[in-house]
Formats: sequence, structure tokens, C-alpha cells
Amino acid sequence: MNKRLFAALGTVILGAAAIAGIGTYVASAKNDSRVLAATAAGTMETPQGTLPHYTLDMSVYPDAMFGGHGTGGGHPGWVSYGPVTNFEVPAHSAITITVSNYDGGETLNNDFFGKVRGTIGGTATLNGVTITNVAPDHVGHTFTVHGIASKQSELFFSVPMQAVAEEDMPEEGYTATPNVTVFTVITGDAGEYVWNCEYPCGDGTVAKFGNAMSSMGYMSGHFNVVNS
Amino acid sequence: MTNLQTPQTTKWWKKSDVKKTFLLWLILTPIIGYVGTTVQLRSIGAPASEVMASVKTLMGVFTWAASPVAALVAALALTSLSGKRHYGDNPPAEADHQISNSPRVASTWVVVSTLLCLFALITGLVVLQKDNESILDATAMNVNVTGQQWVWNFDYVESNGVRSADLYLPVDKPVVFHVTSVDVKHSFWIVQMGIKMDANPGYVTETAVTPNKIGVFDIRCAELCGLLHAYMQTKVHVLSQADYDAWLTAKSTIEGAA
Amino acid sequence: MTTVMDRPAASAGHTASRKPLIERLNIVTALVLGAVSSVVVWQLALKLLPQDADTAFFFNREDKIMLLALIAWFVGFMTGIGALIGPFRWLMGKDLNHDENMFLAGKEQGVKRYFRYTTDHKVVGIQYLVITIIIFLVGGILAMLIRTNLGHAQGGWIEPQTYNAIVGWHGIIMIVATIIMVTGPFGNFIMPIMIGARDMAFPRLNALSFWLIVAAVPPVFISFFTGGITTGWSAYNPLASQSALGMNGYIAFICIFAISTMVAGANITTTVVKMRAKGMTWNRTPIFIYGVVASVALALPAFPVFFLSQIMSGLDRAFATSFYNVAGGGSGWLYENLFWIMGHPEVYVILIPSVAALMEMAPVFTRRPLFSFNLAIMGIAGISGLSVLVWAHHMYISGWAPLLNAPFMLTTELISIPTGMLFLVLIGTLWRGRLWMTMPLMSIFALLWNFMIGGITGIYLSDVPADAFLHGSMYVTAHFHYTLMGAGLTGALASLVYWFPKMTGRMFDKTLSWVSFWLVQIGFNVAFMGMFMVGLAGQPRRVESYAEIFNKGNLVTTIGAYTIMAGMLVLLHGVISSWRSGVKAPMNPWQAKTLEWTVANPVPLENFETLPVITSDPYGYGKAQS
Repeated sequence: MNKRLFAALGTVILGAAAIAGIGTYVASAKNDSRVLAATAAGTMETPQGTLPHYTLDMSVYPDAMFGGHGTGGGHPGWVSYGPVTNFEVPAHSAITITVSNYDGGETLNNDFFGKVRGTIGGTATLNGVTITNVAPDHVGHTFTVHGIASKQSELFFSVPMQAVAEEDMPEEGYTATPNVTVFTVITGDAGEYVWNCEYPCGDGTVAKFGNAMSSMGYMSGHFNVVNS
Repeated sequence: MTNLQTPQTTKWWKKSDVKKTFLLWLILTPIIGYVGTTVQLRSIGAPASEVMASVKTLMGVFTWAASPVAALVAALALTSLSGKRHYGDNPPAEADHQISNSPRVASTWVVVSTLLCLFALITGLVVLQKDNESILDATAMNVNVTGQQWVWNFDYVESNGVRSADLYLPVDKPVVFHVTSVDVKHSFWIVQMGIKMDANPGYVTETAVTPNKIGVFDIRCAELCGLLHAYMQTKVHVLSQADYDAWLTAKSTIEGAA
Repeated sequence: MTTVMDRPAASAGHTASRKPLIERLNIVTALVLGAVSSVVVWQLALKLLPQDADTAFFFNREDKIMLLALIAWFVGFMTGIGALIGPFRWLMGKDLNHDENMFLAGKEQGVKRYFRYTTDHKVVGIQYLVITIIIFLVGGILAMLIRTNLGHAQGGWIEPQTYNAIVGWHGIIMIVATIIMVTGPFGNFIMPIMIGARDMAFPRLNALSFWLIVAAVPPVFISFFTGGITTGWSAYNPLASQSALGMNGYIAFICIFAISTMVAGANITTTVVKMRAKGMTWNRTPIFIYGVVASVALALPAFPVFFLSQIMSGLDRAFATSFYNVAGGGSGWLYENLFWIMGHPEVYVILIPSVAALMEMAPVFTRRPLFSFNLAIMGIAGISGLSVLVWAHHMYISGWAPLLNAPFMLTTELISIPTGMLFLVLIGTLWRGRLWMTMPLMSIFALLWNFMIGGITGIYLSDVPADAFLHGSMYVTAHFHYTLMGAGLTGALASLVYWFPKMTGRMFDKTLSWVSFWLVQIGFNVAFMGMFMVGLAGQPRRVESYAEIFNKGNLVTTIGAYTIMAGMLVLLHGVISSWRSGVKAPMNPWQAKTLEWTVANPVPLENFETLPVITSDPYGYGKAQS
């Protein structure tokens, strides 16, 4: 074989290796690489019969001191979900999700997201009281799960979190009385989904959907349904 | 042969390379047309509306109309390539053929390409006209489509406030979509129905379609809209009128509380 | 009275400290001054600019700081490279003297002249070649990251934000690379010799246009580390105003690049109009010259619009103006119009010089005259003229003006007529030629194939009903890769091999040119055929993750892309090894008849001892002229 061709092959291999290196580095760059798996909690009676039951606990904070991105991260001032922003739940199960909201809020861009959607019975409980919606001007955040239109089961649910009232927001630290929303959803087949918040909380950006809203690891993340 | 024939006495269509080109053209035209249409139309999949069916027809017609041209270029190129070839580091002798222009060929080429262009234009305009008519259909139902980063939602105008995150439509009924956005640009695309309309913040744009097939189809966002653009997708469920009415009734009892 | 910048009166041989300023400036001083001034301005702005009010509708402080720092970088870099010496001297009522002009032309400086504000068009041509290769290398790496991500079943290997940034970065720098890939290296190095001129009309503007590109590159790198260009290369508003700080890098990059393009356009156009050799009438001017002029002349109306659109985008970000923000009375459609008024001529800015270069090579490698020179010119002129009237076909489904869809469909489809003329010229030249089997010759066949596919798919896309289905899908991505890469880049690579002997004095390694050619062309067709299919099946563009029905097509595309990568790396190896140790090239290795082959290797400083006189067109191959 031609000597030059051998040398060129060397360049190809070197180049491929360089790209592999860069790629591995880029792919590992994540704001939040940790995953929280749902905890088993026996079984549950649902409209679809008795299903394995799991629970998932999370919180929303007015700053980024608790997120999976580490305390503060690159943007300590951004609102964030915690303790992590990537979740893993089993397929064909009832998942009870508890969200403690420590943040205030104002008005939604779109009152569609003021309503509880896609949970069992279309309801959630807010501090123990059953609700079907939160007034659009009192929403703090939402937890909205959706995915790609494909063969995987459709999974859509969106639950608004009542905002902590302005007067209950302390100057320092977090309120002692977060608003706790609990709801249960039923998962289908395994699939990859994402969640994001639909309350406009990226202050100072167009439609308030920039910054924390447009970065994985703050107000959005992965929500994977896996075969248990 | 002592009497060398001058080129003028051989009619141009009798020359061997012209014949070869012609033969190649005859063979390649149907192959290109067939492969081009089959591959493309198979990839598209089954249409779920008249609009999509006419898009498929259009693409088929265009492909067949383009295949003689593509085949001609391919035939000429192949014939040239199969002619005199020279390998080596030094240039070959200069070619015998030195024609640097042929008004007849050039004008034929321009006239034919103009005709093909007009054909494409007129076919397109006819279909476009048909599509536009459906927006004006008075019997159509209306759906307001709102794009918000990164979820679609649908308001059924003729219902008592029913809204959903996946779309439900009755079969064989024209529907007009009033599309808008609350933040950045999105693009509302019902893949198998062949319609797409940008969702612009602050403006309402319209598009219309009549679904003609019961089934579940895909809605995808076709304009990069930020972080989760890839996930801004949902399904459209096309139901029989009866099933649709039942769905609407069930849904409106839930939504009524809102 | 003496000035600081004293003339270099016989100071050769003296200590470095006594060297006049003009001789001390180079890329190092430019980088240092650029970096220092941007850091200083950044720190000052951090201290001095007031905080955003918590209640402010838009937070602009960081945008202001970043834009100021980027402007400071730009001013510092251009000062550091010496771009201001001439204007400053002129302002003082003087001008550069002969010695200084000769110094700027790079006389007797060896390799160092490539790192200075050198005005010799041949130096600028080589500089352009190197920066084009570098930009392609970066863009290629990004392309491989994109394809690796999408090669995974359902995508999702890279996080969405990073992925979007990679797509935007890949898009914009590849657009820039393809814009400069022919008119930069070959338009600067070859074109003046080809028309029998000693240099460009405005040599200092020539240096300026190149160093502006160098100044434009760092902002786009910085943008990747400040949130990235997450909007795709088109940077549609209001998404661009919403995006992270990285968009400021995009804005600075485009503004600087647009100035460079305008400067180069004015310079090249003037050179060709005013400086052709005696006897080089328009009928005897090589077709490549027409391609280059058409390209830069199209850029002249297009890029000021791009420049403006980004200034307005920057004002929206930094000062909360509302050019594009609906809430403040603006409109995203305004941005789309401005962008595509640049964007559609721009694709022909890329394409025309590549096709023209192949038309220039066709007679050389078929040893017969160019078929229908007049039709070639008409084709180039027709495309250029129509291309400024088609921009809104990118907006058929935007809802901006549905009534304009039919007229824009008309103008768009009319472009197929002049495009067809270019096909006829190429195919007519191949016909009954004596084909010299080289990589440039095969590139003509490759262009015919790729451009045919790109052109026909373009007709589907120009059709409004079909576009309503295809718009924004991978089909569009595949289509414009077929035209810009399959046709444009193929022509540029052929140009590289064809003019390599004149530019470097050495032959491009033949084996490597063939290996690279086949790897690239086969890989390319595999990759983008796969992409056509997923597009038709309904995969949107610019998605980081997709439905499983698209798995197979994406895998095919990724395999094709890796093949292209291998081919491009072979080519890169070919460039480096041939440049360093290739076979020494004779003066006219291809036995071509244009003027650049009548000058010695290496080309002397002012090209021609005595200026040539032209008596015929350069296509007099064959036994007799007819």
C-alpha cells in the first residue's frame, strides 16, 4: 500500500479519536447528572385496577441552593427544582408525586396550565385539600411532563403549584410553610419523557422563559419511565 | 474507404454517441422516475387528509416531470464518461470536437426548461387554490391552537370551554386552526395531514384541513423554539363523529368545573 | 517636527526597539491588545454599569457588558494588527511612503508576512485558505457531534441545550466557511493574476477584509461558553432575544463578518471592472471571474441587511428596544424578512463561484472549448438577478403574507431556468471531450449529480402546498446540504486541487485526492439520502431527540457522515503533506490557457514583469476555433 495512504489513515484515526474525545466531554457536560428513582410503596387501587405504587418527592425553591446542579451552581439566583431534576419511575404503575413549593408567583402566560391535567381523576391535593385547579394569578410553578409523539405511550400531565403568598416569603431563607401539592399519575409503557415548568419564571427574559426556564437542571429535566 | 465523409453528411442523430445517449435516456427516465417516486412516497407514508394526498400526488408528478431532465443529464454525462478517457500526469491531446456554441441546443434547452417550470408553477397553483378554499368553509369547526414553550394546547371553540393537550377531531369534518403562540415562534405541523402553520406571538394565523381517516397521527413543532423543541409534540386522535361527541361530552363535564 | 511613526529610514540592522511601529505589529500584538482591551472594558463595565431593577421587564446589564467587551475586543484587535495605521496617517495629512507600502506588501519577510497586515493578494489568498480550513475543521467536528447524537437510537446523547448550541454553531460557521471558501482563497490569490493585474484595486482593504474575519472568529467561540447560539444559524427573534448571553457573540460575529464581506465585495468588483489586462474584453474574461464577481456583487446588497438585522437584534437585547418584540410593538416577521433578504441571495453567493470554478476547469480537463460561454454568463446573471426576489419562500407558512405565496413561488421556480443553463454549459463541455481523469474532472460529474438532486428537491420545496408539508423538516436540511455541500463544497475542493500547484508550488497528491473524493462523495450521498427519508417521514429539523421510527434513517445518515469525516481527514492530510513535501509543480501542470498559469512558481511579488495583452478568450482548445 501507498506510504502516503498509510499516513493519511493515521490522520483519520487521530481525527476520529479527537472527535471522540471532544464528544465524550461534551456529552458529559450536564447541569445535573443525578437521577432520583421513585420509592416503592406497596400497591394502589386505581381506576385501572390494582397497580404497584411508588412515590416521588421534590421541592421548588426560589433560588438554586438545593438543585442537583450543586449548591448555587453557575446561577445561584435562578429558581430551581430539587433535590435533583431527573426522575425515574417504573412503567405501568401509580406514581404519587409530592411537590413542596417554597416560591412565590404571579400570573401564568396561559391559563391552560392553571388546571390539574392528566392525574387520576384530574385532581390533586393542596395542603390536604382536593383541588382541580389553581387560580391562574396564584400559580407558583407547574410540573408538566410530556414527550415525543412516537410509539411510546402518551404521557402528559401538568399540575400547578399554589404560590406562597407574598407576605409569607421571608427576606432570608425559605418559608417554614411551603405549599404541598400531592397527585398521582399512572404510567404506561417504558419511554423517555421530559418535564418542565410552565409558569413563566425566567425573570427579565422574553415571555419570562429564558435563563432557568431554558436550562436543563433548573426548571426542566428528564422524566424516564423504565421497566422495573 | 478512400472517400472520407465530411461530418456534415452524417446527420447528427445518426452518430453513435447520440444514439447511445438516446438509448440511455430511454432506459434511465423510467428508472429515475420510478425509484424517485417510490422511495419518496413510501417514506411519506399513508396520508390522513385530502391535502396530504394531493401533496403526495404533486411530488409524484414533479418527480416524473423531472425524471426525463435528470435522465438526459445523466445520459449525456455517462456517454461523455464512456468516451475518450485519459489517465496520467500530463494532459491528453486536445479534443477533436471544438464546437463552442450551438444556438439550436441552447434555445431548445431554455424553451424546454421554461415549459417545465411553467408546468410546475401551474400545478402548484391549482393545488394551492384548492387548499385555500377549505379555510373559507362555513361548516367547518374551529380549534384555537396555542403554542407555549414546549407544549401545545387546543381550545375547541364550539364547545363550552373544552381544552386539551392532545388534539381530538371528528373524521370527515373540515376544521380551521387558529394558531398563535404566547412566547416565541413555533410551527404547528400535523404530519400525516400535510398542514403546517407557524405560531407567532401576538398574531393569529390560520390553516385548515379535513381529516379523512380514523386513527392517531402526529403533531410536531417544526420551528426551533428553544430548549425542549424536540419534545414539543403530541398526538391527534381522529374519531368517528359519535366517538368525538362522546369524548367532548365527557371532557366538558370535567372542564365545566373550571 | 517628527511623528511617532517615523519612516524606517535605513534602520535595517538596528535593534528591535528602534523598529517603526508598522513593523512591530502582527497577530500577537493584535491578540494581546484585543484581549487586554476587552478585559479592561469588561471589568470597567462590571463596576460602572447600574444593576437591573428587579422589576425590569428585561434584564440587559449582562448583555451590555458582553457586547461592550466584544466591541472592545474588535477595536483592540484591529488596532493591534495595524489596520488603523493607514487611516491615521491619512488623517495627519500624510500617507504611507514607498518603503512602508513595500513592507505592507510583505516584501522579503518569509513566513512572517502571513501573520501581519499584509496587502499582497497572494498572501491574503493563502491566509484565507488556512482560515477556511480551520473553520471547516471546527464546523466538521460539530457536525460529527450532531450526527453522533442523532446516530444513537432516538438521539439524546447530548443535553438539549448543548445540542442546540452545537447546531447553531455548526450552522453559522459553516455558512461563513462556505461563503469564503472560493472567493476567499481563490478569488484573492488567483483572480488578480487571472485578469492580468499586479494586485487588487485596494490592497489595504484586502488585508482588512481578511483580518476582520480573524477578528470575528473569537466572539463565536466565546458565545459557546456563555450559553451558546441555541437558535440555529437563523437566530430567529424573539427566540434570539430570549436566549442566553451567547447570542451576543453571534451578533458581534455577524456584524464583523458582514463588514468584511462588504469590503471584499467592493474591492473585488472594482478590481475586475477596472484592472483587467489590455485586450481582456468582457467576452475574453474567464468565466470564473464572472462567478466571483456575481458572488461578491450579490453580497453587496445582502450583507448590509444582515448587518442591520443583527444591530437591531443587539439593541433589542441590550436596550430593550422592540424591533422584534411583539409586546413592544415589533414583529418577528420583520426579522424573518431582513434575515432572508440576506439569506437567499447568500446561498447563491456560496454556489455561483463554485459552479463557475468548475466551468473554468471543464475545458482544461476535457481539452475542448467551454460550451456556450454566453449561456454561462446568462445563467449566472439570471440566478443573481432572481435570487434577490425570492426571499419570502422561506416564509410560506409563517403566516406573514399568504397572498404573496403565489408570486414568490413564481420567482423561485423561475430560478430553475438559469440554473438549467449552467447544467447545459457543463454537460455541453463534457460532451465529446477528451476526459483527463483527475479529481477536478470527476468533481464536475459529482456536482451534476448532487446539484441535480439538490435542484429537483428545491422545486418541491418551492411549491407552496408541498412546502407546507416539508418546511422545517429534515428534508430541507438534506436539500440545502445537497446544494451547498454537494455542489458548493465539491466545487471548492476541486478548486483546491486545481489551483494548489500555483498557490503552494507543489502538486496535490493524486492518490489522496482520489481517495478523499470517493469517500466524501459516497459518504455524502449516503448521509443525505438517509436524511431525505427521515424528513419525508416527518422528522423536524434541529431536534436533539426523535421518535423511534426515524432510528434507521438517522443511523444511515450517521454512517454516511463518518465516511465524509474520513474523506475530509484524508483531504486534510493531503493538504498538509503535499504542501510540505509534494512533488514540485511545473509552471502550468494542467496546460491551461488562463493567465495565472503563465507566471512562475512561486508567483513573484507583483505577478507580472510586463503586463500581458489578451487577444482571445482562454478556451481555445481543440483543433480550430469555430
